[in-house]
Amino acid sequence: MGGGCGNQGAFALTRSWSKMSIMQAYANPTRFLNLTQPLVPWLWAVTIGLFATGLIMGWNAPPDYQQGETVRIMYVHVPAAWSAMMVYTIMAIASATGFIFRHPLADAAAKTAAPFGAVFTFLALVTGSIWGEPMWGTWWVWDARLTSMFVLFLLYLGYMAIWQAIEEPQRAARIAGIIAIAGFINIPIIKFSVDWWNSLHQPASVFRMDRPTIAPELLWPLLIMGLGYTFLFLVLHLTAIKTEITSRRIRQMRIANIREL
Amino acid sequence: MSAAFALLKRDLRLAFRQAGGTGTALGFFLTFVVLLPLGLGPDQALLQRIAPGALWIALLLSVLLSADRIFQSDYDDGSLEIMAMGPQDLGLMALTKAFSHWLTAGLPLAIAAPILGLLINLEPERMLPQAIAMLIGSMALSLLASLGAAVTLGIRRGGPLVSLLILPLYVPVLIFGVAASGGMTQKPALLILAAISLASLVLCPWGAAAAIRAHLR
Amino acid sequence: MTRKQKRLMMLCAGLAVLAVAAGLVLYAMRDNIVFFYTPSDITEKAIPPGTRIRLGGLVEQGSFKKGEGAVVTFTVTDTLKTIPVTYTGQLPDLFREGQGVVTEGALDATGLFVADTVLAKHDENYMPKELADSLKEKGVWNEGKKP
Repeated sequence: MGGGCGNQGAFALTRSWSKMSIMQAYANPTRFLNLTQPLVPWLWAVTIGLFATGLIMGWNAPPDYQQGETVRIMYVHVPAAWSAMMVYTIMAIASATGFIFRHPLADAAAKTAAPFGAVFTFLALVTGSIWGEPMWGTWWVWDARLTSMFVLFLLYLGYMAIWQAIEEPQRAARIAGIIAIAGFINIPIIKFSVDWWNSLHQPASVFRMDRPTIAPELLWPLLIMGLGYTFLFLVLHLTAIKTEITSRRIRQMRIANIREL
Repeated sequence: MSAAFALLKRDLRLAFRQAGGTGTALGFFLTFVVLLPLGLGPDQALLQRIAPGALWIALLLSVLLSADRIFQSDYDDGSLEIMAMGPQDLGLMALTKAFSHWLTAGLPLAIAAPILGLLINLEPERMLPQAIAMLIGSMALSLLASLGAAVTLGIRRGGPLVSLLILPLYVPVLIFGVAASGGMTQKPALLILAAISLASLVLCPWGAAAAIRAHLR
Repeated sequence: MTRKQKRLMMLCAGLAVLAVAAGLVLYAMRDNIVFFYTPSDITEKAIPPGTRIRLGGLVEQGSFKKGEGAVVTFTVTDTLKTIPVTYTGQLPDLFREGQGVVTEGALDATGLFVADTVLAKHDENYMPKELADSLKEKGVWNEGKKP
């Protein structure tokens, strides 16, 4: 086999290929934007509502019997960690889709998800550190959960660096996709790290086989905050995809202009 | 198969005759091991405690340092393109190149490490487990380096980028590698290290071939 | 052999290698790879004095004693075996009798664990104080006393 689709007739193919990619870029993304953009204001409303409810409920929730008021850090920390993993999963799925079907919309979705994921990961690491200092007695330990979460942060950075380094979007998407898919192995490691190794980090409280081990009045604000983070990501992601599609169109128009000259 | 052998022979010859091959990797390794006790001060007990981990970090960095020679020069002079167009499976070619990298970087370093370990007070009874763990683990290191090298082909100043991309994938190798070099969890850690190497044996050449194709397209 | 057969064969070989890798991991998982050792692990494996390890378990009820200055002593148990620990310094907020703890240090010649770091391990239970109190009254919950 080999890099068959190209090199021999590369020059002859360039014109028709670029025409095709312009078509691809216009056809589906336009429909996607028409479908999703009207939703954006509503999504913002839902997001703000969820955050307001979650924060107020979290503020009024009773203090934990052991951690006292410090337990409230959970309402920022835990949803951030959930979102960080969710975003990576979305990014890996989008990368795989882009890799198999060569669809520019999937590439754009994967590319734009990464910075948000990195921010969520960073937030989870920092808030966890702030909680760990008084509770565990240390800012940081290299136990399995913390290490795997740190690796997730590095993976996000590497992924974004690839997009920075390669100029041509199709090629960057293909290469960055390989990194995203290879790094996906880390997600189950993060999730089960607390079960496989006896780590310092506590085991799962919410997503577990039996019932959650958080009292309902502490759990509800957490779930609402989790939903709030999810919606926040959704609305930011849709906006970022729109920006990405627009900037690609501008790029393609410029290239088309140069060709005509 | 014969094409893979021919490629292996050519790569080995290049690695031994060209600058930046085995000699550089060994030199870097030696530098690290010599500088470490000078930086830490003369604490034999401390050195003994950190020796296995220090040797692993030295191995990891030396492999990383020589990663770009796996594909870069072949990419520059166009021979990689010819390989990609030829009838041979590109994944097999990537595997061959990773293997020749291991033969010229990982293998000599794994053999030299326990001996250089004497310089940093490695316990004598730890030498054999250290060498075995490094022998197995360095395969994964070379394979992952080949993936990183393939991904960053043709990117100007790709060196720092390779480090950033490959570092997260090296973390499990380092953790289980150090654990497999001695201590109480030696056996399970060695098994997991072997599993990592086997998994990279299949997945890395495949990923590297996909990356090369994407770059040559 | 045609190209198709060749590729099929390589695919099968690849899957077989991956299966072996997965098998090795599953086999290795039977022995735990750990962040800390329990008192039972330490007595079983006869860890020599002076080896730096992490010891984890529950702080035994009624074992916590304050010594001179910031010196504290307590016993770490996993309900089967116990190991006495001595530590000098500040304890974390979550340190309680009956709660999880991870300490770092080494055994001395008398079997006393000399710790230079004490980390409190939080469990996965979160509840308000009133609920904990009522559970304690019913005798189904044991909170542990703050030292």
